[in-house]
Amino acid sequence: MATDIEDLRERFLNIEFDEVEFEIDGTRFREYAIAAGETDPKFTDISNPDFQAPPTFVSTLVGRRTFPSDFPALNGVSMDAGKQVEWKAPVRDGMKLVGRSHLHDIYTKTGRSGRMVFLVTRMELYDKEGTHVANADTRTVIRER
Amino acid sequence: MADLVQSISDIEFGETLPAFDPDTSLDNIKRFGQHVGWGTGRFTSHEIARKEGFPGAIVPGVLSQGFLGAMIHRWAPTAQIVVIDTVFRAPVLVDQPHKITGVVTNIDEEENMVEIDITIVNEANETRVFGTATIKLP
Repeated sequence: MATDIEDLRERFLNIEFDEVEFEIDGTRFREYAIAAGETDPKFTDISNPDFQAPPTFVSTLVGRRTFPSDFPALNGVSMDAGKQVEWKAPVRDGMKLVGRSHLHDIYTKTGRSGRMVFLVTRMELYDKEGTHVANADTRTVIRER
Repeated sequence: MADLVQSISDIEFGETLPAFDPDTSLDNIKRFGQHVGWGTGRFTSHEIARKEGFPGAIVPGVLSQGFLGAMIHRWAPTAQIVVIDTVFRAPVLVDQPHKITGVVTNIDEEENMVEIDITIVNEANETRVFGTATIKLP
């Protein structure tokens, strides 16, 4: 691994840099479910006794920042390369969640157009009892100039 | 239409999921933008998106991920998605027909877990989004 990436990993991985609270709105995740094409009433009918958010809904919960405030600007074009969700427990209408973010991984891939740096930001989501309900990862790629 | 999957015993290795045509219409994306977020011009206006260098308005990545989840639930209503990873390879364009296909790549009968590869392709059969999911079944 290149020394600049090793340095970033040492300085920034697994250090929490953001905490944000969310109040989950069932009408919002119902609209998400309908737009996505979900048909199960547990995702689309607010009166369903098992009404809950589709597992991927947590990808719509956005923190105040994607990277630590002191993370260096990398010279290149930044793009959203993907999302990963790890589901652990249902997210329901009216729940209050806390999202805590850290950089979970930093790695590179090299192609014909040069090196690309991938930054994986993980938001860990907990309910008010402290139960870990989900991890929502955002993978940002920076195509270096 | 294929029978719905209710338990892991209903699934075979290499099985293909019923194809799913996601709603990429501008009306759907505008409604998503109004109620969920991602309602800015690059998602809700072909004209603004073209000014930003896109071929047209693009479907938000978070909704593309939602399409993959919906496809799994339509095929296996009792499935719990445990992990779903989505790679955005190229934009999914609004008002363009897309198709989602999936294939079962692993079955763990001891843990009742199944792995699936899922792909969103456009009309030219070009991959736009690629995903892998691990689901748990009764």
